[in-house]
Amino acid sequence: MFKGFKFTRKIENTLMLIFTFIFLGYISMSPDMNLESLKGVLIIGITVGIIYGLVAVGISLIYTGLDVVNFSHGEFFMLGAFTGLTVYNFLIDGELIYAIFPDAYGWVGYVIGLFFAFVIMGLFGVLIERVFLRPLTKKGGGYTVAGMGIIICGFGLSVVLLNLAYIIWNPTAHPFHADLGLPINIGGVTLPMTYLWMLVTGFTVAGALYFFLNKTKMGLGVRAVAHSKVISNLVGINVPLYISIIFGIACALAGLAGTLVGPTYQVVVYMGYIILLKAFASAVVGGFGSLPGAIVGGFTVGLFETSCAFFISGSHKDAYAFLLMIVVLLIKPTGFFGVQVKMKA
Amino acid sequence: MLKIKSLVSGYGSVQILNGANMKVDNQSIVALLGGNGTGKSTILKACSGIIRTWKGNINFNGEDIQNLPPHKIVEKGLVQVTQGKDVFPAMTVLENLRLGGFTLKSKQILNDNIEKVFNYFPRLNERKSQLAATLSGGELQMLCIGRGLMSNPKMIMLDEPSAALAPQIVLDIFKNINKIRKDGLTVLVVEQNVRMALLLADYGYVIKDGVINVEGESKKLMYDESVKDSYLGGGGTTANV
Repeated sequence: MFKGFKFTRKIENTLMLIFTFIFLGYISMSPDMNLESLKGVLIIGITVGIIYGLVAVGISLIYTGLDVVNFSHGEFFMLGAFTGLTVYNFLIDGELIYAIFPDAYGWVGYVIGLFFAFVIMGLFGVLIERVFLRPLTKKGGGYTVAGMGIIICGFGLSVVLLNLAYIIWNPTAHPFHADLGLPINIGGVTLPMTYLWMLVTGFTVAGALYFFLNKTKMGLGVRAVAHSKVISNLVGINVPLYISIIFGIACALAGLAGTLVGPTYQVVVYMGYIILLKAFASAVVGGFGSLPGAIVGGFTVGLFETSCAFFISGSHKDAYAFLLMIVVLLIKPTGFFGVQVKMKA
Repeated sequence: MLKIKSLVSGYGSVQILNGANMKVDNQSIVALLGGNGTGKSTILKACSGIIRTWKGNINFNGEDIQNLPPHKIVEKGLVQVTQGKDVFPAMTVLENLRLGGFTLKSKQILNDNIEKVFNYFPRLNERKSQLAATLSGGELQMLCIGRGLMSNPKMIMLDEPSAALAPQIVLDIFKNINKIRKDGLTVLVVEQNVRMALLLADYGYVIKDGVINVEGESKKLMYDESVKDSYLGGGGTTANV
């Protein structure tokens, strides 16, 4: 019956559109539907989305640069949150910040916390790559035996880092009382300041990353190494160094995202696991390996999840991201920006 | 300029080169000929540091360069242009050229070199803001050679510049290779297209089973029967002419 039927790009897109309309129609019938709640869902969804996007960009960067999926990426997110929290508490609770700047506000400590989370996680990522992953990437990544080894190594690393955090910060939930000021009102939606920080910092960092990759020489090198290590070698790029840089940037982004999310919930040792899976879903939805795709996928997952949680049922919040991932994999397996196949030997 | 002494190398545990000896003089064009799977490209890869040298010695400009990291070899002025028109398809022609000059420190020299490449290949100038994926086969080969010239090399190694191109375009590219030599560079060209390569080169080496089988002035090699024997069937000499 279906002989000769081809699943073309046009059919894929039509089906995606139909799914979108069904979904929008379904949530519009919800009793909670009104302009106010829609605005709220939109803003929160984008805010959550940019965080998923930042982590997903890291996963995609490592995938293109090292040819492997990094399953310990969630742990860098968690360690980043703890780093930010520790630095913030050290500055604020120790009143150190007031000793230096007597008129300082809470956000000064928070910015320093963000900065430290970014830098320390970046350096930590480079260290991990050099010590643990380098011997394996030397033998080849991707679909080789060594590539499989790196993936297993990622799982192991995840457990080790989790237990390391367990020893240092113990398993209890740490509240992150970032003193950022009163909630503000944007177009009738009351938004806590932590969300505004996520929004602004997230977009700034995503923009900075775009600028770095497209306008600087180092970014050009990163893109070259991501595409082909052999040609990069031949044009004189120090490929091992750039692989470290790629891993470092990815981990730094995860660490920054961790400190951004920290004040909205609590900082717990186990927070990395669920964000890894959701960022993974975002990367798949956007097209695995594509950096703009990762950000767009983050927005899509964030908006879908938030609107489902608000209009359908909040108790299954964590399931919706994966529901969307399954739907996208069924209808449009390459994701929004993905390429058909990526052959690497 | 480049001296290769009893070079032994290969992929994984498979040995390809069994002690090859070669010499490339300053400002000359040397052709390295041979059939499929005889180790032509392997010699180039060993020179540019992509694969390890197991035994033997590669000397460039008086320095031993075997088993240096590839980017150090590029900095010393030895650049390989790969087979198969390997470019970065998702980048523009200009970005591809900029990557070729990655080792350059100054932006001024980079821009000068881009101008220089456009002088050799005016077609690239017309296409400079296009994605490399949209170029034709001949233009891709020009882009590859141009990218190799970007880092101010002393010597350039070309891996089959004529592969899968129309004869007219091959002629055009070979003319440009001659022009590059006249401007002071040394060229080592690996070819399957024997007659074209020998017309271009001053000196030729024929490789067979990982060792140099025949060598000599290219004018002599052109009529040498043993060159034909080095190829399976011998008919390869007249192909593509």
